[in-house]
Amino acid sequence: MANRTGTAQRPNGSTQGKICQFKLVLLGESAVGKSSLVLRFVKGQFHEYQESTIGAAFLTQTVCLDDTTVKFEIWDTAGQERYHSLAPMYYRGAQAAIVVYDITNQDTFGRAKTWVKELQRQASPTIVIALAGNKQDLANKRMVEFEEAQTYADENGLLFMETSAKTAMNVNDIFLAIAKKLPKNEQATAQGGSGQGRRLAEGDTGAKAAGNCCK
Amino acid sequence: MPVSLLTDPQMQFGAITFFAKLHKGDTCGSNGLPLTPNSIIVIGKAQFLKTIKHPYLCQYLDIIRGKHERTVVVSQYCGEPLSNYISKEQFTLDEIRKIAFQILTALKELHQRKIVHRNLSTDNILLQQNKDIKLFNYGLYYMTGCGQLVSFPIMQVLYSAPEVYLDSPSGIFSDPKSDIWSVGIVLIELILKKGLWQSLKLGQRIRKILSLIQCNNSSVFERIAREHNCFETYETIPDDLKNLVEACLSIYPKNRSTAEELLQREMFEDFTTKKTPNKSKVCEPFEVFTINELYHWWQLAGGDVFQELKKQGLIRSSPPILSLPNLVSIEGSTLGQERNPATLYDPRIVQMPLDALYQRFAHIPLTCYYPLIHATSKIIESSMPPPYDATGLPLIIREKDPEYQFHRVILFRRLLHGYPYTKELILKEASKDIPPLLRGEVWAALLSIKGDYERQYLRIDKETPTTTDRQIEVDIPRCHQYNELLSSTEGHKKLKRILKAWVYQNSNYVYWQGLDSLTAPFLYLNFNNEAKAFACLSAFIPKYLHKFFLKDNSMVIQEYLAKFSQLIAFHDPHLANHLHYINFYPELFAIPWFLTVFSHVFPLYKILHIWDKLLLGDSSFPLHIGLSVLTQLRDRLLNSGFNECILLFSDLPEVDIEKCVSYSMATFESTPKSITTREHQNGKFHPTSELDISSVTLQELNRERCPRISATDFVNLVRSKPEKILTIDIRNPVQFSRSSVMNSINIPFSSVSFGEASLENVGQHSTRIANSKNEIIVVIGNEETDLELFPKFLLKCGVSRVCVLHGGFSLLASATPTILISNTQM
Repeated sequence: MANRTGTAQRPNGSTQGKICQFKLVLLGESAVGKSSLVLRFVKGQFHEYQESTIGAAFLTQTVCLDDTTVKFEIWDTAGQERYHSLAPMYYRGAQAAIVVYDITNQDTFGRAKTWVKELQRQASPTIVIALAGNKQDLANKRMVEFEEAQTYADENGLLFMETSAKTAMNVNDIFLAIAKKLPKNEQATAQGGSGQGRRLAEGDTGAKAAGNCCK
Repeated sequence: MPVSLLTDPQMQFGAITFFAKLHKGDTCGSNGLPLTPNSIIVIGKAQFLKTIKHPYLCQYLDIIRGKHERTVVVSQYCGEPLSNYISKEQFTLDEIRKIAFQILTALKELHQRKIVHRNLSTDNILLQQNKDIKLFNYGLYYMTGCGQLVSFPIMQVLYSAPEVYLDSPSGIFSDPKSDIWSVGIVLIELILKKGLWQSLKLGQRIRKILSLIQCNNSSVFERIAREHNCFETYETIPDDLKNLVEACLSIYPKNRSTAEELLQREMFEDFTTKKTPNKSKVCEPFEVFTINELYHWWQLAGGDVFQELKKQGLIRSSPPILSLPNLVSIEGSTLGQERNPATLYDPRIVQMPLDALYQRFAHIPLTCYYPLIHATSKIIESSMPPPYDATGLPLIIREKDPEYQFHRVILFRRLLHGYPYTKELILKEASKDIPPLLRGEVWAALLSIKGDYERQYLRIDKETPTTTDRQIEVDIPRCHQYNELLSSTEGHKKLKRILKAWVYQNSNYVYWQGLDSLTAPFLYLNFNNEAKAFACLSAFIPKYLHKFFLKDNSMVIQEYLAKFSQLIAFHDPHLANHLHYINFYPELFAIPWFLTVFSHVFPLYKILHIWDKLLLGDSSFPLHIGLSVLTQLRDRLLNSGFNECILLFSDLPEVDIEKCVSYSMATFESTPKSITTREHQNGKFHPTSELDISSVTLQELNRERCPRISATDFVNLVRSKPEKILTIDIRNPVQFSRSSVMNSINIPFSSVSFGEASLENVGQHSTRIANSKNEIIVVIGNEETDLELFPKFLLKCGVSRVCVLHGGFSLLASATPTILISNTQM
């Protein structure tokens, strides 16, 4: 299941581009800023008192990349460890994941590593994983060094950026970087697309969908 | 005149106002969150003052936040400041003793609660008509965090103790003994009948006070008397008074007595033994209404504190251009701005006019103040005024109608006095509406809170660090932070304590995110009574969220969500079919709804109205609320695909809460109880019998798209409301003719072709089913028939209110043969 590819007439009518849809999931310890990153990316807003996420929230946003329009279907998950059992439902079948930690809190970095491991083991093998060190605006309270995270990301083949949902630093960039890295070739074209929601439901049934995001 | 009850001279209130300190420059704390505005911290702290009820202290009523950190404090204000009497009225020595006693009693009360007045002077000691005194504005130092949250010093030059001057401006040296010094000065003024150092300028006055430090071994009182040419008077003062004043005016705080010590002096024996300070306060629970309620009605009747302050010139707006600085540095600090004099301490007090309220309530007869709640006789009833009728008005209007609220508050106050014996009456009245002023108490009664919940709360360990702390700490600053109380420092502390207490108390459960939101309404309503908030939460969870906070709650939640799907199918088959078709499962959006009973989804004011009704229902009520939310968004959902639907719920659109409440009430009442029966519901609140539904597995539940109905409910319906029910027997005609439920129709399972979702396939009875708008359709089968396919087929055809008899026909035959008939005989 997959990114539906289609053609779209640009407003100026000059070029025809593909439309790709990708399912992206955000994971990470609670209060690291997952919802804030999404809110910044999707609506350009920032709420100081962003409410905690229970279960998960869903949002979409489209970015343009050369001649391709990439539509992200973003699942923003609850961070609390207890909601862990729900997570597979959201990351199964996802083509991309952003694992977020808080640069002012070492524990959240540890938790991010656990998420990366879980994704590498359980999620689709072709999943694009990005690591986001959020709250860069609080760099003077930093507890996780940039180099440390960069090294870890390199070792595990992750995209890595330090971001700030508050100042918007690197927020669009990290999504764009993911969009660039995602395969947009014809092989990745969907046949069906009968209902976008099916994606999640099929993922739910487990093995059938796992590891076969581009059937 | 009934109004005389309202016009009690002590039932008056006034307001003072000041500016809390503005945060300079950096507006973010170390956690990256914005600093809590000082005015909000003040509001949080000041709540505690509202709990103080004492005959010699004015009661605090309200703390309101205005623009730019303006804070307005509303408090009881009655009588005349003592300063008006100093030179006019001659107090006898006995009267002075009595005043001294009352001031010290009031201070003792404050000091016991760790409140330092710091501001005591003859201006804020109010003399009542009965010659008793009341202290006013005694909480300023307390609510401003020992003066840290305001940019002016809190003291009274002349009355403040020397150590107050010696403390650094930013110091938080707060010793209750500085109040005792002030008492000494007040007494001197009363005894000498003159204000001290009246002719001197401010600086000189301060110098005078500080010079008193030098009279280390000699009498301060004597020195002051000499300076005011009153040495002769001084010499005539009886020793007891003289010694009292001297004891108050010890230079070193450590030598100064406390209020409690001073009260033990022989001179006060007469007052302490009598112990009848104010009769009405002793039996306060029987007061018809309190000043709090008067203030509430006054506001409803159009009273506006800000308006009054503006009228009196205490709040003045100046053109914004005047507040522009001359220079702003690149770091953001501003220079060349004159200090706004309004940020200084403003001692003025504005009395709030009550005439409009008196007029508005003038026609209310005295009997309305004493409503009869139990037996009334016909004769009494006929002489009673007709009840104030507001039933037809929308809830919002009723809550804002002063007269209606008057009647409701008086009635509920009376019922609450009688609680728990009046529980039934409270339930009955609460089903009409709950007066917002008493909501906290009414909720506690509805949740059956009684007994010694305070001591129980006290015993719980709320301090020891646990592994859950980090999660609680990150959740609290995100929980309903638009609310002033919940965003205040005090609010954060309280919420944390309650959550920790709950986790400690319920070792079988764990903290799930969302528990914070669930606690918020209770804390908001019982801000000054943590124990009660905790008791309410502890009673609420077993009743409505039994097992939801288990470490592994997936079975409980799955079951709840499956029931939700069935309830949608039961009431709205079209919507259910659409959501099913687009794979839009409740699991994706409804977990926060039910885990927090909507407290994570709606703002507080909406939650309060929903929960008003929830508390009258059982644990299935949230399902109906969920259904009513879907119903409100029905058109948009029906026209949307998966993505649009899920987007709709990620950012829930405005929901009309009154409609939501009335719709959920309607479906709650029209749905047989067993339709929403769950395996995991708390048996304590749902008594069961053998005819009820039991041992349905989650797999079965997920497979069955239509709910089951219990034999109990079914039999009741057949007997009491036969017109509300359509029974479809899907057994074969032979079995049907041998014995069947009265008035049932027979559609043999084997005769229906399920290929196409068209009602005509059921044969001759199709029109009967199609016309069954308000009837509950109960499908009855037995072991040989498939009990999933047929109801599912009806659902697909858009037939509403379809359910399946649990246990099948055989259960009826053995349990209640009386509703059965044999068709062969007919």
